[in-house]
Amino acid sequence: MRAAIILLLTAISAQAADREFNEVVRVISDEFHTRPMSIPFFGLVNAFTAAVRPAGTRHIDLAVFEHLSDHDRQGRNLSEAILNAVGRSWKPFVQVRSRRNGHEETVLVYMRQQGNEWKLLVTAVERDEATVVQLLLNTDALARWMASPDRCARHWNGEVTE
Amino acid sequence: MKFAMPVLLGILPLAAQDIKMPANLDRLEAKASEVVNVQLDGALIQLASRFLSDKDPDEAHVKRLVGGLKGIYVKSFEFDERGQYSMSDVEELRAQLRAPLWARIVGASSKKKGENSEVYLKTEAGQITGLAIIVTDPKELTIVSIVGSIRPEDIRDLGGHMGIPKIDFETKKDKKDKEDDK
Repeated sequence: MRAAIILLLTAISAQAADREFNEVVRVISDEFHTRPMSIPFFGLVNAFTAAVRPAGTRHIDLAVFEHLSDHDRQGRNLSEAILNAVGRSWKPFVQVRSRRNGHEETVLVYMRQQGNEWKLLVTAVERDEATVVQLLLNTDALARWMASPDRCARHWNGEVTE
Repeated sequence: MKFAMPVLLGILPLAAQDIKMPANLDRLEAKASEVVNVQLDGALIQLASRFLSDKDPDEAHVKRLVGGLKGIYVKSFEFDERGQYSMSDVEELRAQLRAPLWARIVGASSKKKGENSEVYLKTEAGQITGLAIIVTDPKELTIVSIVGSIRPEDIRDLGGHMGIPKIDFETKKDKKDKEDDK
């Protein structure tokens, strides 16, 4: 059993995040002079994800930034920098900018085909936090995104965790 | 956080669309409480259609409809209050949808809801090659550009799929069918 778990974790960790995911993380890190928070045992999350596939997700790469402040910013146009970091191999899919009740959030979703699989790269930036997620989706989850991309982007966090 | 979304939306590739989003619409983004941009190119549409069931009649119908499409582009603005945009903001967009290529085929308004829907059809060499929809509401503005072969009466069935809003209108064919039923 232990050998099986080690094998599974090894296989999952071998599925490294794409260069563009790391680039987007770097852009946000540089802009705010900070680093994403460390998430203990995230490898186990992916082991769970690979086995259980919550909401049709096979693999997750995640970077979470907290306590962001305008005070620490470099002042670049973050949107343009993310767009450049993502590059042309990802298709722009959905963008949502919401500003309600003093709460501002921007969600940028890009999509890329890799063989028979599809990946989503979701960047969400709020007033004081940001999240970058790369998801490898199964067909059911992808179908949900394709059927209702605007709704999924608005509730992307729920789509990941539901 | 100053995220400069208008700049981002402005520089997204729009070349595949039949209509171009005027710069004044980008300026509306600063006033809107929510802006949503959905872009589905031909490859993504074909991918989406693969997930639609052949057994479910509704899904099978939508699957057939999207078979000839090369792109679906939806942009919608929501505002907190009435009057934050005006019809002159939409005029530059309407100016692109003129004869001989484009023809307005539906103009429906609901006085109760204050909603106004317009459907424009693009025809080239006798073939329908595109469709544009403008839906205005006191607190909402939605623009849809569909590239490819589609019949106007099929728009209703596509509503609610792939980011296209549900639109309620009667085409000439619907009216004729109703009259025939009487």
